[in-house]
Amino acid sequence: MSDAALPGFLETLRLSLRLDPSIYGLLRDKTQGVYYAALIVLLAGLSESLGQSVVLLLNRVRPRRFVLALSITTVSNVFGYLLWSLTIWSVGILLTQKEQDFREVAVVVGLAYAPQIFAFFELTPYLGNLIWGVLSLWSMLAIVVALHYGLGLEPWQALLVSALGWVVMQALRRTVGWPILRLLSWLQHRAAGVPLTARLEDVARLRRHTLRNWYEQLEARRRSVRLPPVRKKRRRMDGQTNHVHRLE
Amino acid sequence: MFTDWSDLLLLPLTALIIFLFWASLTPFETLGWWAGWFGNAIYHDVSVSEAETTSSSSEPRRRPATAYVLFLSGIGRVSGQTLSYREQEFLNRLRNRLPSAVVIDNIFPYSVNNLALTGQPIFAGLWKWALARKLDGPALAGYLINIRNLLQVAIAADKRYAPIYNQAMAEVMLDTVMRYHFDPKSSVPIFLIGYSGAGQIAIGAVTYLREWTKAPIYVISLGGIFSSDPGILAASHVFHLWGTRDQAQIWRFLMPGRWSWMAASEWNRALRQGRATIIRMEGMGHTGRGGYLDHRPPAEGGPANVDRTVELVATIIAYADQPERIPRTV
Repeated sequence: MSDAALPGFLETLRLSLRLDPSIYGLLRDKTQGVYYAALIVLLAGLSESLGQSVVLLLNRVRPRRFVLALSITTVSNVFGYLLWSLTIWSVGILLTQKEQDFREVAVVVGLAYAPQIFAFFELTPYLGNLIWGVLSLWSMLAIVVALHYGLGLEPWQALLVSALGWVVMQALRRTVGWPILRLLSWLQHRAAGVPLTARLEDVARLRRHTLRNWYEQLEARRRSVRLPPVRKKRRRMDGQTNHVHRLE
Repeated sequence: MFTDWSDLLLLPLTALIIFLFWASLTPFETLGWWAGWFGNAIYHDVSVSEAETTSSSSEPRRRPATAYVLFLSGIGRVSGQTLSYREQEFLNRLRNRLPSAVVIDNIFPYSVNNLALTGQPIFAGLWKWALARKLDGPALAGYLINIRNLLQVAIAADKRYAPIYNQAMAEVMLDTVMRYHFDPKSSVPIFLIGYSGAGQIAIGAVTYLREWTKAPIYVISLGGIFSSDPGILAASHVFHLWGTRDQAQIWRFLMPGRWSWMAASEWNRALRQGRATIIRMEGMGHTGRGGYLDHRPPAEGGPANVDRTVELVATIIAYADQPERIPRTV
């Protein structure tokens, strides 16, 4: 198949979101597939880091530092993707005893990242947990479907590979990957420009004022604004009769 | 076949994505305020408050107020000024019924720094436009304001943002009552009346108000929609006015802490300990005709709904420290 017959990026994204079986086989061994997968992973990484940015703001990061810290988290998420692809690739080889091209695994796993593009929506007030749950389920399905159709694994193999891959990745994070994660977290702290002491679970303990008599400064913080008074509904009928009067 | 129904789904799907995008951006207003991106100020609109400050607070200066009543409006508002004739009528009657109390309503409970939507730095134009649609025609655009304010209620109920938002609201409330000469060291009670979605805002702020003042703080939820917030147990007492025809109360099923079998939730604990009281409002709906604030006398005779509500609120304010004296059905 020539490259001209390949779907564009948006079409790829749409098909990946729908978990369309055809897209994985179509792009698996194409250069374009690598680009698309990379772009999806980057967008998903950015969306995820925005979704997790609450903690930065809780620590009162300045706007520029916020952007800097976000980009570091995005890089860290992309690194997580590489690690994930690597584990799936090695677990897959071990389990199926078949040689796989790493690049193909990386493309297929990258396409399965598509649902995480919506990770930003986890910020939605009150519905964040629900959205997180839906996205997790969707991503889980995506990786199983991608491994099944993209790499030709049996459904049970795909399920096993992704489950084992997840376990291995958790182990890696705590062992070999730990120094790299530490480095990224150190970088993020440096980028934030303020100590990131407050965690998300501390939010109920945070207080804006430590002094008991802080309210004595309220006077100084008051700012008066003059807004136009709210205009009540115009009485169109009166307007019309006035008009008629004037004509008469 | 698949393309057919997916094309059909495209429109609601786009609407959903636009809504989620908007909803996901809203917490940045609260979080950015916390991070100090938008300054430290608490705004108040002099064009309304000046007149009211002079009329209602010159009196308490001569005679100390017996109670501070802070009315938090429903989600239809854009600023500290009320748009609703019924709300205005309710407040007038309440002020007449309680001459010794300070009744305040010029507060916009859906903004962390009390800044009216029409005064917002970037989107003021959009909100002025939406307000004009709301006032001049029954256009759908007016509902943008309600959705925007509803999202703020959702923030006040979300465990990730609520402590931030509620602290902001508590500051705005304290600032407002202090503008009317409230002394945080005194023991003059504060009554927060939360109408509809503002029930959540009122309950949420109590946790923090409680830390700053020794005065008793009571919440009167006027058909309020609220989650099981720690503020319920921080309040001196919560009175929940529940109209028998109030269909908006169905929203409580979205809040797991309000389910009756969640025995350990703040709301159910408060009910068991007698620190929250549900008062049945016979035949009253949520809003509009037949609502809590309807000023027209009912067809079957008897006092208008707003008068029954005012009378009950006045009774609560008089006997808040003895909840057993307050009727359970009105």
